Amino acid sequence: MADATGAGRAEVSGAAGGAGGRRRTLLPRVPFNLALVLPAQLTVLSVALVPTLIVIWLALTDWQPTSGVPWWRAEFVWFWNFYDLWYDDRFIGALLRTLFVVTVCLTVELILALGLALLFLDEWPWRKVAVSIIILPMMIIPVDAANAFFMLFNERGPVNHIISLVLRRDYNFSWLSDPRWALLPIMLAEIWQWTPLMFLLVLTGLMNLPQNQVRAAMVLGASPARIFLKIMLPLLTPVILVALIVRGVETFKIFDPVYILTRGGPGAATETLSMFMYNGAFVYFRMGYVAAAALLVLVVVLTACVGLLHRLERHA
Amino acid sequence: MPDLAAARRRPALTLLKRTAVLVAMAISFFPIFWLFSTSFKPVDEWASWPPVWVSRHPTLQNYRIVFFPEAARTFAEAQKGSLDYKVSGSAWRAFGDSALIATASTALSVLFGTLAAWSIARYRTGGASLPLQFLSVRMFPPIAVVVPIVAMFSVLRLSDTYLGMILAYTAFTLPFSVWMIRSFIEDVPAELEGAAMVHGLGRFRAFLHATMPLIWGGLLATALFIFILNWSEFLFALVLTSGKVITVTLQVANYVSASSGKLYGVQAAMGAISTLPVVLMGYLIQRHLVRGLTFGAVKR
Repeated sequence: MADATGAGRAEVSGAAGGAGGRRRTLLPRVPFNLALVLPAQLTVLSVALVPTLIVIWLALTDWQPTSGVPWWRAEFVWFWNFYDLWYDDRFIGALLRTLFVVTVCLTVELILALGLALLFLDEWPWRKVAVSIIILPMMIIPVDAANAFFMLFNERGPVNHIISLVLRRDYNFSWLSDPRWALLPIMLAEIWQWTPLMFLLVLTGLMNLPQNQVRAAMVLGASPARIFLKIMLPLLTPVILVALIVRGVETFKIFDPVYILTRGGPGAATETLSMFMYNGAFVYFRMGYVAAAALLVLVVVLTACVGLLHRLERHA
Repeated sequence: MPDLAAARRRPALTLLKRTAVLVAMAISFFPIFWLFSTSFKPVDEWASWPPVWVSRHPTLQNYRIVFFPEAARTFAEAQKGSLDYKVSGSAWRAFGDSALIATASTALSVLFGTLAAWSIARYRTGGASLPLQFLSVRMFPPIAVVVPIVAMFSVLRLSDTYLGMILAYTAFTLPFSVWMIRSFIEDVPAELEGAAMVHGLGRFRAFLHATMPLIWGGLLATALFIFILNWSEFLFALVLTSGKVITVTLQVANYVSASSGKLYGVQAAMGAISTLPVVLMGYLIQRHLVRGLTFGAVKR
């Protein structure tokens, strides 16, 4: 059904030369080109749309698998789950913490990436090798990277060892069991793993910059800092925006490092939204409650994304 | 090449820049070094103080424990009392299961993705909204759909099965394959296919003979990229299985002893072995990584 309406619009947008309509397309033949998207569409619908419908139902129930009642006959509680969520400090805490993690990680990643990319502008021997080593972190399985950070920030790990060597006394702080500090290794793991992607994006953007303006500014005697701020940065904005959106969406879902490093603990000190929902659903078995939280998150994320995409399209 | 004025002609600045690059390389490499170094440490060096940076008595014991059940049993008996060791599942099973699930869902994802991407790129099927609809799958947190998927799979008897995992992985990598392949197809002028059709080929054969030969490299890169994603996936594996199906990421997280926490050496060995193939694949498609991870938005 979604397809049928979409196909009607296809010709309109093709004729009007919509977002990507500059490229010439072939004449559509409706049943044929619809059949082509069908397998992909069905797969996505079965694992994304159907669950979304189920989650709406579950959010209004108090389903707890441990009680032995199948989910379609779970007790209907109307909007009480949402009411509880609103007054649940743990949920609000997880939400704010997630936003905090996203902000910190994106900022640090972007600054590091910009700085690094500027080092790689001119040609020098071993440049390619250096790039390959710097992007190594993003190739590692996230779970393995998180494990490595678990070992690094262990009481008897190398981070404490280095600090001990600097302080010249034994330093055995246990980072991961201190509520105030446990979030730091998690964010560092995330930053360590994904700064390389930012770096690659920014570097790609810098290499594709039009040369004329930079050269003209140089000839006119502008300082490197001014060239960077007034010419390169504005030209880089689209690439940086894409990087921030892609990384922002992914960081918002952060789960693997949290699960491996702390499982949200100690207490709920490092619980991000994903971890909160995992704990709620698979540790406390409050599926209905988690479904309500999930529904809220879905609505918020989708609204944010639709808004963002519309704005992007208008700019493009 | 935009280069920041005469910076490179000032030796002090150059030295500073080189140092910064070296530091960045060291930081990038250090956790990986630690992972590999730990994988060769004997049990008494796993968590000793001060920590052992490079083992003085390197051993392959951790790798033996990962791959040979007898070695694991001997180890467990030798450590009885001091280290309550639990072996859950075997690494061979994990590698087999992961290979099967990742390969099957990659094949499906690329196949479905190619068809959809072709339709979208050449016929504007679904206008602007259909590609965004695919993209939205990747936007919401998977944990938010995991609960209803668990509910749905329990009815369909898909939980803890290969089919269920393949279905989930296919659906959640389709956004990548549709968008990435679409960007490859759009790099090829539609006129090629049009010309082939003028010469009497059907639509499908026109695509096969005119466009396909030019995007093989792109398709292969997409497949490798999606294989990496599937191989590295953790959340779905954690939630949708309960023992019958084990992926490598699950197995890595499994090496935990009941009393004394993680089995660092064994976990590191499993981690090193499991991450090696995807690192190699990552470098193979290094040129396309940026395109993949930004859904074709940024090209090199």
